This record gives sequence, structure tokens and C-alpha cells, in this order.
Amino acid sequence: MAGRKASRCDVERKEEPLKRAQRRDYRTLALVTGFILLVPAWAWLLPGDVIHMDIVNIMVFAGIYTFVVIGLNLLVGYAGQISLGHAAFFGIGAYTTAILCCRFTWFPTWLGVLAGVAVAGLIGWLVGVPVLRLKGHYLAMATLGLGEIAVILFAELKGLTGGTIGIPQGLNVKVSQIPALSIFGFDFDTDLKLFFLVWVLAAVVMLLSINIIRSRVGRSLRALHSSEVAADAMGVDTSRQKTRVFVLSAMLAAFGGAIFAHFQRYINPESFVLSVSILFITMVVVGGMGNLWGGVVGVITLTFLPSIIQALPYWIPGVPSGLMNFSNYSLMLYGALLVVFVMFMPQGIAAGLSKAAAYGENRFKQLRDRAGARKYEGH
Amino acid sequence: MSETRILEISGVTKLFGGLAALKDVSLEVAPGEIKGIIGPNGAGKTTLFDVLTGILTPTEGRVLFKGRDLIGMRPDQITAMGMIRTFQTIQLFAGMTVLENAMVGCHSQTRSGFLATSLRTPGARREEKEIIEDAHAVLKEVGLGTRAHETGTNLPYGQQRMLELARALASRPEILLLDEPAAGLNQYETGELSELLSGLRDRGLTILLVEHDMGLVMSVSDEVVVLDYGEIIAQGSPEDVQNDPRVIEAYLGIEAD
Repeated sequence: MAGRKASRCDVERKEEPLKRAQRRDYRTLALVTGFILLVPAWAWLLPGDVIHMDIVNIMVFAGIYTFVVIGLNLLVGYAGQISLGHAAFFGIGAYTTAILCCRFTWFPTWLGVLAGVAVAGLIGWLVGVPVLRLKGHYLAMATLGLGEIAVILFAELKGLTGGTIGIPQGLNVKVSQIPALSIFGFDFDTDLKLFFLVWVLAAVVMLLSINIIRSRVGRSLRALHSSEVAADAMGVDTSRQKTRVFVLSAMLAAFGGAIFAHFQRYINPESFVLSVSILFITMVVVGGMGNLWGGVVGVITLTFLPSIIQALPYWIPGVPSGLMNFSNYSLMLYGALLVVFVMFMPQGIAAGLSKAAAYGENRFKQLRDRAGARKYEGH
Repeated sequence: MSETRILEISGVTKLFGGLAALKDVSLEVAPGEIKGIIGPNGAGKTTLFDVLTGILTPTEGRVLFKGRDLIGMRPDQITAMGMIRTFQTIQLFAGMTVLENAMVGCHSQTRSGFLATSLRTPGARREEKEIIEDAHAVLKEVGLGTRAHETGTNLPYGQQRMLELARALASRPEILLLDEPAAGLNQYETGELSELLSGLRDRGLTILLVEHDMGLVMSVSDEVVVLDYGEIIAQGSPEDVQNDPRVIEAYLGIEAD
């Protein structure tokens, strides 16, 4: 009797860790979202003309990239399938809505965004089925090629995309810029409005992604990352799961791209070139592969970094005027930082920071214990 | 008729270039039996498993499982039909706990996709709860009940093998293909494995057992098949096979008179 009771308690206790981890994720999501939504208050305390950067504006970009990076993290970090061409889907989302909303001024912008997501999903599926048969470096090369093809098409299909001039100037349309995003008559025409829209939606996407990761689907993705043969043998249809997560990541990238088009109000192929794809991947790597929170940290860090580098000389009083155009060297510093990250925090900032915190805590305890021992000796 | 054979392998040949890894292999497996498959290294044992589980397509031949031809089916479809394997080189999922490894084994028994799991529909939640319960149950069965939340790849070698077995059992198979499950186990662990396999058979599970540990094969198998250079050279009860001169030759390399 006693034995049976004990074993039942056992099972209950064992079930906890997975559920506890999920609760912890939800709590983190609430905290992070709350923290980010308070950013405009800080920005009000630290106005742009004082600190030489526009925090809310940069945070809108970060929010837009967050959609892309969450999708890429599912694809690259969890399922282990590299893509060096996701700027293409970012661009497909942007171009689809820009073309629809500029050519047909009656076209609802929110529907344009959804159309962009749908088109990217369709193209992602058509492309993903053959390309995902490749593995490792070959997949990287193929996706890199896809990204290049997309940029060439954006530039060369002049009648559709406005060529290198872009939309709307390159098109023969009446509007002088892409219309602002409008949902049920409410126009998201300022940075602040878009900030709240983008980050609330990012929180929703994050919530759905956490649910996917902590489910049989998420486990199947991690499983095929680790051993495709074993995942197959366990009944995971690996090629279908790979295609689906690729399509999902393409749709998330397009979602970000479509909002980007309505935020920047003009687009041209420049915004979707290879270095943008690389930036997305770098955000995933710097934040932490297979770590959704790390991805958000990576996005915010790398989105702010160029602005911080540019603003740096203004923050230090008495900088000689020759160093004021220090930002010309910003790319160099940017590259150096990446090398440092990859060398010393290969698992990303999030994991690196928590490791550093654990080290600091241990060290603190050691010092405290030693101090305690010394006191004891003194007596 | 179909009652007497759950698996029917007929005339399976697998060529790699000019080399025949399997030559005209025919085999019948009755439900609820443990069939041992032995043979020297390179005899084609693992190739046979790869053909059965859809990893390799045979050059010739047919494999009927519960009356359906498996040739051309994907590995995951075969698993869903109730045939599952373990691997000779351990293939646990890195970065997953013991429990999560076993939970992946439940994949073929569950349905929720991206949409249902992202929205945590009642169906998806119910499934997740069942998966956790099933996974705990199989872990307990193989003696890993207390290690559920450790990282799978951190377990001692013998327990990693047991976890592979648990993960396979989580799919509720009808046939279990075990590829050298006792490799690297100590004597005590092999004894436990032997008891476990007998228990599984008594519950009606059919087992194909590729193994080099002759003590284990001969004690648990109902029938033993001997492969050499891709061909079946002997087949019968453990006693008959042990005394077969061709088997002795294959293993010891002595010319039979």
C-alpha cells in the first residue's frame, strides 16, 4: 500500500519538469513583453537629440526582424536546416503587399500583408520540396543561390517591381509612397503606433512558437536535427516536417517583410540582398541557435549595434573632430564583435550570459564563504 | 493463413555495385516468436534490417508485413504500421532528456500538427498528456523510471541501449527489430535484457534479434537464422543451428569435411 502511494507521487513529481519549463517560458514571455512595451517611456526620458539615436524607431526594426528570426530559429536552430536566403522571403512579403497596395489604392493594407505571407508560403513550399533534399553545405549553397535569384528578379522584373528604383517611384502609379498599414480604419502611421503593433504581434508569434517547440512537432524537429535516420525510424516523416518548418519560416519572414514595406514606405532590391540574409542568420547565431529567447536578444543587440557605434563619439565629451566620422569604421568593429561572439560564446549571448551569471554567483558564494571563514578565525 | 506469418521475406537481394549484401534471402516470421539472426561481421544482418525498415530498397524481392508489401514505403510509414527498430550504433537524440527521447517514440501514435500544437487545442493537450504517460510507462518497463529527466546521451552506455529499446517500445510496435541490443552490456545487464525480451514475447510481441552474444541469442530465441555472405546458410532451433557444420565453418573458418 505504502509502496503504491510512493510510486504515484513519483510519477506526479516526474511530470513536473516539462510543465514547469513551459510555465517558466510563459512567465518569461510576459516579463519580456512587459519590459519591451515600456521602452517608449525610456525613449521619452532619453530623447533622440540627446543620445543621438531614435530608440523607438530602431525598436520597430527590431520587432520586424524578430518575426524573421523566430522563423529562422525554428528552421536552423531547432530543425538544423540552414538557409542563407531568407531575405528573399522577406522581400517577397514586402513586394507583394507593396505592389498590391500601390497599384490598387483601394486594396486593404492588412490584406496585402496576408497576401505577402501566402505568396511566400506558396513559393517556400515550391522551393522547399526539392531544395530540402540537400544537406549541410549543399543546402547552404542552394539557399544562397535562391536569395540571389530573388534579388535579380526584384531588380529585373521592372514592370512589376519598379526595377532598381523600387516601389513606388519605379512604378507608374499615382501614390508617392507605400500607404501606411491600416487595420479596421486605424492607421499605423507613426513609429510609436507601429512599435506597439509589431511587439504585440511578436509576443503572439513567440507564444505560438513556444507551444510548437514544447510539443510533438517541436520534438520531431529536434529529433531530425540530431539524427535523421533515427527520426525516420521513430515514425517522423522527416521530409514533410522539414518542408513544413521551411514554409513556416518563409511565411514569418514575409510577414516581417510586409510590415517593413509599410513602415519604410518605399522599397527597392537593396533591402533584400545577401548581406541581409547573412544578418538574419547572424542574429540567430549571436542570440543562440535553438533558443527562441536568445534569438530575440540577438535581434535587439544586432539592430542597435550599428546605431550605438555611430552614436558612440557623441557620448564621449571632447572627442577630436577627426574621430566624429568614426562610424565609417563601424563595419570593422561589427565584424570583430562577431568573431569574438563566435569564439567565446558559440552558444549565443543568452547562454553565454547565463553561464557568466552562474560563474558570478559561484564566485560570490566562494568569496562570501571565505569571508565568513576568516571572521570565524578572527574570533 | 495470415495468422501464422506476420512477416514474410521472399527472395530479397540487395546489390551494392557488384557486391551482394543480401542474396535471395527468404524468411518467415510467426507472430509472437523471437527469431535470432546471427552471422559473422558483414554477413548482411544490418542490411536486412535496413531493407525491412525502408531505409534501403532491395534490388529484388518482396517483404510482406501483415499481408502488405513494404517495398517502396517510407520508414515512417513502416513504423506507423507497427514495425520498429533500434540501431547498432546508438542513435539517441542529442540535447533531449531521457523522457523526451521516449516521447519521440510516441510520434507515430499521435497526430497533432503545427497548427494544433501552436494553438494548444484540447486535442493536442490531451495527446501531450498521453505521450508523457506512455513515455513514463515504457521507461519504467526497461528500468529507467528514475532517470527520466537526465540528458539521454549522458546515461551510461548500457542504459543508453535500454533507452533506445524504450523509445522503440513507445511506438507500440507489433514487431521489434533489435540490432545488437546487448553490445557493450555487462553480464548483469544482458541478463536483465534477456528477461525483458522474454516478457515482451509473452505479451505477444514479435522480435527479430540480431546479436553477437550467443548466450543471449540461444537462450531467448525460438528459432535462429544464420547469415553468411548475404545468404541464409542455416535455420532452425538454437540446438540444431549450434551443431550445424556449415555454421561452425562460417564462424571458425574450418573447412567442413
